Amino acid sequence: MKLEIRNVKKTFKNKTAVDSFSMELQSGECVGLIGPNGAGKSTLIKMIADIINPDTGEILLNGKRISSIKKEIGYLPQYPNFFNWMTAKETLMFMGKLSGLSKNGLNTAIPNILKKVGLSGEEDSKVGTFSGGMKQRLGIAQTLLHKPSLIIMDEPVSALDPIGRREVLNLIQEIKKETTILLSTHILGDAQEICERFIVIKNGLKIEDTSIIELLQRNSDNKLNIEITEKDQKWIGTIEELPYVKGIEVIGNQLKVEVENLENNKNLLLGHALKHDVDIVKFEVGNDTLEDIFLKLVVEK
Amino acid sequence: MNSFIVLMNKEFTQMVRDFKIIWLPLVFILLGITQPVMTYYLPTILEALGSGQGITIDPNIAAQQGGEILAGTLGAQFDQLGIIIIAISLMGIIQTDKANGMLAFILTRPVPVRSYVGGKIASNYIFTAFSVAVGYLASYLYVNLLFTNVAIFDMLTALLFYLVWILFIISFTTMISTLINSPGLIALISIAFLIGCRLIVGLSSMIDIINPASMSKHAMEVLITGSVNSNAIVNLVVSLLCAAIAIFITNYWISNKKFSNE
Repeated sequence: MKLEIRNVKKTFKNKTAVDSFSMELQSGECVGLIGPNGAGKSTLIKMIADIINPDTGEILLNGKRISSIKKEIGYLPQYPNFFNWMTAKETLMFMGKLSGLSKNGLNTAIPNILKKVGLSGEEDSKVGTFSGGMKQRLGIAQTLLHKPSLIIMDEPVSALDPIGRREVLNLIQEIKKETTILLSTHILGDAQEICERFIVIKNGLKIEDTSIIELLQRNSDNKLNIEITEKDQKWIGTIEELPYVKGIEVIGNQLKVEVENLENNKNLLLGHALKHDVDIVKFEVGNDTLEDIFLKLVVEK
Repeated sequence: MNSFIVLMNKEFTQMVRDFKIIWLPLVFILLGITQPVMTYYLPTILEALGSGQGITIDPNIAAQQGGEILAGTLGAQFDQLGIIIIAISLMGIIQTDKANGMLAFILTRPVPVRSYVGGKIASNYIFTAFSVAVGYLASYLYVNLLFTNVAIFDMLTALLFYLVWILFIISFTTMISTLINSPGLIALISIAFLIGCRLIVGLSSMIDIINPASMSKHAMEVLITGSVNSNAIVNLVVSLLCAAIAIFITNYWISNKKFSNE
């Protein structure tokens, strides 16, 4: 399986939603498409799912246009609605048959899939009575039914409460062992948890395509976060003169101290603080969180 | 072909769940019965309600023929309230799927657009035609009971003609439901256009040729005169063509994904 997106562009009226976007996706990968609201994530996902056509460029799966091999993709919309009057089993039966599966095959596959997504016992409940998390899990069941080689999910967890989110994230963890996944989200923690690779998109442009480890390493600068109490403010003045301190940023009682070499200097600084009898509230190595990096990428660039 | 049958079955299941399978035939039975019953009892009702002053009910007035009453069912009941009810019951046929994303969702599966449109039109046509036919038969029974008998062959020919007009009504409403997003507007445009078509029948012989509503007039003529108008066959072909064009536009619109370009 190989997904290739080449120079895809899509314009709505006079707003460019996706602009010269290219990427490749290999078998077994789990890729998170992240970006702020309105960045063009959904538009891109919809183009991959062949719901809308790109203005220019092409999207190929195994060298073929998606429209000719729809069987190979499983798509989960942002808000899977289904038909409220259908039961869970009927929904899967309906979607399965549309994917070209036989009735007999479905009769054996559906209970297994429902069990996998934690909906066994609900096969005869109407979809209209389902919670958001249950609908999402049913949606995932539907994407797995025809064993596609690529699963595309549009914001699979964004609209769910913490419980629903946890259920769906665990489920995705589970299924990513068996298939290739491309999902979009604007919540970094979720992406961090399930994906190894990120593509950051902003204003329709790809601004970053990297792995999480690389991203964190690139953004680690030799900083220490220290929190002290009010009475020790004068200590700040004394450490400014230390040879290995390159810069200090003070926000209230919080300090961000940049040092020459994190490994060697952090204990020296801690020792210095203890010697001056500083009341330390917090002392930590200040890696940027993924959220900081995201904000930096999206807001500043 | 397979997905066509799956989608058609889904439509039928939905009709059962929505109880449409009960109410639509029932409405047409009521509409069908109204014309003969009202015509039959109208003199009695007028006599009982009015004091009789100023109104003369001539007992020697030419008794209406059964065929005329049955034609009245088509012209006065089905072509007015009937059209409104069909248009309203079908206004969401595609629009609902567009609005809740099911249309896009279904088309991410290997489903040809023609199967989707075909399944919609075929299932709804079969069911609406059935409802109209049931109402028409009820009317026929009452006409035979209260008035003179209508020849069964004339009755069936008229029904056949009328169902061609129904096919156009359904195709047209489906097309509007595809092109427009607001359910109210869909109903308004469909009702205004279809009743408009019906109203202008007979104004100009040129327009009549391309007007699918002429089929309704031909159906009535068969019932009243017992003979088929020579234009009927041409009209039948043109009406089928009009329905085909509406279906084609629907198919084209969905195939080109114009529905998702907001």
